[in-house]
Amino acid sequence: MITRFCLICTFLCATCLTNGQSLAQWWLQQADSLAGAGRFFEAGIAYDRVGFEEADSAARLSAVFGKVHCLKQQGRFAPAVQYLNGEVTNIYPDSVLLVLRHEQITCAYLAGQFENALSLLERLPYLHPDRPTETPLTRVVRILSLNELQRWPEAGAAYQQLLAQAGADTTKTPYRQLPRLKSEQKAERLSTFIPGGGQFYAGKPGEAILSILVQSAGLYFGVTNFLAGYYLSAWGVGAALFGSFHAGGIRRSQNLVKEYNSRQVRQFNETVKKEVLKQVDK
Amino acid sequence: MKWLHYGALLLWMSLSGAYAQPPISFGREWQFAQYLADKEAVTEAVYVLERLEPLAQTNAQRDSLNYFRGWLAYTSKDLTVAHRKLLSVSATSPFYTKSRYFGAYCLAFVGNRDSARVAMQTLPTPDSTFRELKALQLGGLALLQRRYADYEAQRQSFTYRSYALVNEQQRLNRYDSTLRAEKRRSPLVAGLYSAALPGLGKIYAGKTKQGIAAFLPILSLGLLTYEGLRKDGPRSARFIGFGSLFTVFYVGNIWGSILSVKVKRNEFRREYDNKILFDMHIPVRNLLN
Repeated sequence: MITRFCLICTFLCATCLTNGQSLAQWWLQQADSLAGAGRFFEAGIAYDRVGFEEADSAARLSAVFGKVHCLKQQGRFAPAVQYLNGEVTNIYPDSVLLVLRHEQITCAYLAGQFENALSLLERLPYLHPDRPTETPLTRVVRILSLNELQRWPEAGAAYQQLLAQAGADTTKTPYRQLPRLKSEQKAERLSTFIPGGGQFYAGKPGEAILSILVQSAGLYFGVTNFLAGYYLSAWGVGAALFGSFHAGGIRRSQNLVKEYNSRQVRQFNETVKKEVLKQVDK
Repeated sequence: MKWLHYGALLLWMSLSGAYAQPPISFGREWQFAQYLADKEAVTEAVYVLERLEPLAQTNAQRDSLNYFRGWLAYTSKDLTVAHRKLLSVSATSPFYTKSRYFGAYCLAFVGNRDSARVAMQTLPTPDSTFRELKALQLGGLALLQRRYADYEAQRQSFTYRSYALVNEQQRLNRYDSTLRAEKRRSPLVAGLYSAALPGLGKIYAGKTKQGIAAFLPILSLGLLTYEGLRKDGPRSARFIGFGSLFTVFYVGNIWGSILSVKVKRNEFRREYDNKILFDMHIPVRNLLN
């Protein structure tokens, strides 16, 4: 009787102890092997199963990192931010939460959510007052996000800080030579008073010459027709052509300046990105 | 010795539990798909449900599967899949009522209005609110199809007492009045107006700015043609060039005016179709979601 009772107890205990946990472990192994085989979508689902099977916090945490890795491998950075939003909960110790938050910040930057990345960075010291929250990665994300948002004075200060911490020469920084952006308003004014002037200013002399030629042709047609007594043609064709090309030239010069500025910003950001990564690699 | 045996047994059970492939059951997988959907991982949930199809043995399981697949398709705005799946849920399912209403609405939304009418005629009506909801759906569909007599018949069932329906019922009544009062403009008249005065046909069609914008260049070309005729004669290149341009613009404007009547009518219809569909949708969501 006692033996039977013990056997029943053993069976029940073993089932309760192993069922949920072993399932979670099994799915974790499956997920790892799928991720290893490059099947990231299926691996992501297998990692989700670990959370679904109510695994212990260690297995669950492995699954969270695995899932985020899979989402990143698929280029789904925005879903990764959203997923981590749900996973950053108080079931994990403070040190783990900090790592998860760092992961979320990286994903936010990779998703192009620069404001979100900065906002998450700003919250770190308040959420983890007892630990250092800055890492080389967070510094890089801060500089690059500020850069993308064209907040160059702040980005420059953060870069100086990075150089100082790395013990590098703080005088050599790309922020000493910020990209010179051109004014759309200036281009508009130039094109209004000097045909083609806005295009020259935007760095497109070919387009400027073309603009001068077509506006001159309209004007020439208008004047010659007027002098020949074709007043309606002078007005309806000459003046209309001149007016249309003139107005078009103004709009075009503004667009050219916009394109020029975004090209300059992109180039500058690329330079900074390379410099920052070089500093981190050291 | 006995305790040693128990220990060995416990160890064996642990190991066998840890490495055996877990059995896949329909209910558990369905719950997992629900778990994924709650986490807004819709693509993953759909993947799990698609792999679950061969496991659905009973009608109840198939219904649950169709309902959930349809619902996920509805939430991700894939309404063609949504109505196909939702309308295949059988009457014995607890999801039947919800599936029928949403499936029929999806059919109406994707433009299968006749099929939607057939589906809506068999909508379940467990109580008086649902009877009114069904009348509202059929009424809305009648308005979408511009079957005013049918709308009038459905409107008799409106009591204007249910909080979930009263605003939509009143709005449908307003749409009915507006649609009935829609002025039927003739493309032929628009064309004739534009022949008499360029741009006037577009103003008649309800596109005033386009009418003015068409009038000015045609007037300019007309004046240039007149100048060419007056100064250089009918055989001059100036007269022939501007005259040809004037003719092209003049005829093009007449054709454009004819089309603009149809364009304006379509815009008006689309605007009201969207309003009607919106007001059909809100009570279904409020009462069944």
